[in-house]
Amino acid sequence: MGALTKDVRRVASGWRWTHKPLVPRSVEPPEQEHRDFPTAWARTEAGKAARSFLQGYGLAPLLRFELTTRVEGLDVLQALRPPVVFVANHSSHLDAPLVLTSLPPRWRARTAVGAAADYFFDVWWRAAATALVFNAFPVERAGSRKSTRLARELIGEGWNVVVFPEGTRSRDGWVGEFRAGAARLAVENGIPVVPIAIRGSYQAMPRGRGWPAKGKPPVTVRFGRAVRPIDGEDALAFNDRVRAALATTLDEDRTTWWDAIRRSSRGEAPDAAGPAGPRWRRVWEASRPLPAHGRRKVFTR
Amino acid sequence: MSRPGFVLEVDERTPPTLFHHGEGFRLEKLPLGTRVVYPSEPLPGIRDVDAAIDAALENPQGSPPLRTLLTPGTRLTIAVDDISLPLPPMRMPDIRGRVIEHVLELAARAGVDDVKITIANSLHRRMTPKEIKRAVGERVFRSFWPEALTNHDAEDRANLVHIGQTDRGEDVEINRRAAESDLLVYVNINLVAMDGGHKSVPVGLGSYKSLRHHHNVNTMLHSRSYMDPTSSALHDSTGRMGRLLADKLKIFTIETTLNNDTFGKPFDFLQKREWEWSVADQAAFLAAKRSTDRTPPHVKRQIFHKIAAPYGVTGVTAGETEAVHAITLENVHRQQVVEVDGQADVLVAGLPYISPYNVNSILNPILVTCLGLGYFYNMYLGKPLVRPGGTMIMFHPVRKEFHSVHHPSYIDFFEDVLAETTDPVQIEAKFEEQFANDPWYIHLYRSSYAYHGVHPFYMWYWAAHAMDQLGDVIFVGGERSTVSRLGFRTASTLGDALDMASETVGSSPKITAMKCPPLLLAEVR
Repeated sequence: MGALTKDVRRVASGWRWTHKPLVPRSVEPPEQEHRDFPTAWARTEAGKAARSFLQGYGLAPLLRFELTTRVEGLDVLQALRPPVVFVANHSSHLDAPLVLTSLPPRWRARTAVGAAADYFFDVWWRAAATALVFNAFPVERAGSRKSTRLARELIGEGWNVVVFPEGTRSRDGWVGEFRAGAARLAVENGIPVVPIAIRGSYQAMPRGRGWPAKGKPPVTVRFGRAVRPIDGEDALAFNDRVRAALATTLDEDRTTWWDAIRRSSRGEAPDAAGPAGPRWRRVWEASRPLPAHGRRKVFTR
Repeated sequence: MSRPGFVLEVDERTPPTLFHHGEGFRLEKLPLGTRVVYPSEPLPGIRDVDAAIDAALENPQGSPPLRTLLTPGTRLTIAVDDISLPLPPMRMPDIRGRVIEHVLELAARAGVDDVKITIANSLHRRMTPKEIKRAVGERVFRSFWPEALTNHDAEDRANLVHIGQTDRGEDVEINRRAAESDLLVYVNINLVAMDGGHKSVPVGLGSYKSLRHHHNVNTMLHSRSYMDPTSSALHDSTGRMGRLLADKLKIFTIETTLNNDTFGKPFDFLQKREWEWSVADQAAFLAAKRSTDRTPPHVKRQIFHKIAAPYGVTGVTAGETEAVHAITLENVHRQQVVEVDGQADVLVAGLPYISPYNVNSILNPILVTCLGLGYFYNMYLGKPLVRPGGTMIMFHPVRKEFHSVHHPSYIDFFEDVLAETTDPVQIEAKFEEQFANDPWYIHLYRSSYAYHGVHPFYMWYWAAHAMDQLGDVIFVGGERSTVSRLGFRTASTLGDALDMASETVGSSPKITAMKCPPLLLAEVR
């Protein structure tokens, strides 16, 4: 390796090119009033047109080229009117694009995605690209009330919002604890939550991978039946119901709708948090490849 | 507003730390938990320096205004600090020149005819006309050079006067013209806390006979540190001499202090905190690193010695020496003091291309030792940054290179003296007199641009306190045979050096690194 390359690499890694530079803890300035990256421009008519083009002619074909996607349960949307909160499990950077490209164009055009402020909005160019392509808005992972302010404003304007309530990508492929922000949004605004079960994205592109695995791995996006907050229900209780609904939707995707609702009604729906045991066993199970999508064989020998 | 110096604790978020490495740089990923002492940011400079000089001369400390001391018949001598200050040299106009112009303005108005300007170069090399012109300014140079603007000659017996002895029997011998003047005005730049005060006249205008009383191993071993005049045998001795002189002569001291603004563009990244480097700073570093890595040392030196610092002036004080110097030290401390909690087992420092004794010259191995173990180690108040028996790791290429005009006696010191012993006490006892009185060295000192024959000894003594205290000294990136001659060890990387240091300080030492220059003075508690 040439000396110049070595020096450049050293500086690039030391100063985290492509990421926001970090400040050593011992000199970190006291917390200052954080100013969100402006994203309103991405929801103007020009932004919408550009996004429609990028999603329709860039993102969707790319996902189709790299993955074998199957979208199920879109019929649940027929009974709904925006705004709604879409809640999905999260184990890959593919999740947000998968959800967006799975939505019918009419819904997609009115949907914004909550994205981690400290990751997607740390440098201007990433923030701008995320805001434009995904109609993303920054969400503080810390989960303060302030962090959902923008989401509340968007819902007030009639936008659907996609939230990954785990707050980060799963490390083992299973569903983690849900933060109550999404449930609180729904309760406060009296709007339904649509659970979306994503299976296969962990196998296709888990943490640490920058591009999907070869061989067009299968991925399923299944929309579950909407959950509505009951009068007087608090956000934490509603959050539990949302998580259970998502677990049922995942179970439905693994088995059948009939089996899943029967198990759910008996309170026997498998835990979305995955099996207990050492981490490797959980990762091992979660990374088991999904069966390839294809026509179900009607005639078998 | 400038931010004060502080101690950083290295964690996984800390980018690599930049160190000087002679005429080059190193980026080092320091072990987690290492403490890095960062200097204060430059204090704001005085906006109207000329007004500040006027005010200082008109309202001196413990003395009537300068204008009242000047009469038509006054025999006036202005002595001025030499090229060893400041480092790097300051951008034009040099503060010395500005002060001298104000003094001369008053002298001219008072009708003073007999004025001489002397560069107080002590046993340092003479300054060249070009260097003098840069320091005192074109107007002063044109008016006085060469008859009335000269270098001090510490070997011109006819022009030295023995003033007397202190109560400890120390000889005080200084420049005759200065001693026989009605008024001696000393113009100083107080870059570090060691400078100035009573050290100016007895040392700057002194002779070997006088300097040997404090420039010796015993004094240096009892100067803890020589950057702290209250705990320094060196300053005790110069203080006694200075007070004797003050009794016999009329001395009007003018001291100036500078801020920490050491590197202008494109080298300003050298004084920024790494995690605050912009993309432009990173690019400037890469460009500087690549060019210094590929350029031969003599070319690099020419480039680096052209760097002039954009210093701001933080103080101008005039009057009676001790009263003036107390204020000056406050100004120096205001800029340089950084509080540090406790001593470390290992001290890490990057040595730059320049020291007080190689301006426009080569930082030879003896000067490297003096810079590291003399100056850097002694940049403390209270306790050294590293504990007794600890290790000092320094970055410098330590090439066996000497400037044959500026440092002739250094070559013989390296080849003959250090080949026999590196022990300062033995060196002093066996070799000092011989080098100090060598006629050839004296001839070169007087007629060429050579440091005095005894000067390499002083450089070695300057490091005596550190040598006495430290358990191990390791140069990272140093030339093996050269460093070995100095009595130290070399390592290729910081990791190797820390491995080697584990022999003396164990495998999990407390490490402190100092980011210097810009200058800092660690107040260790």
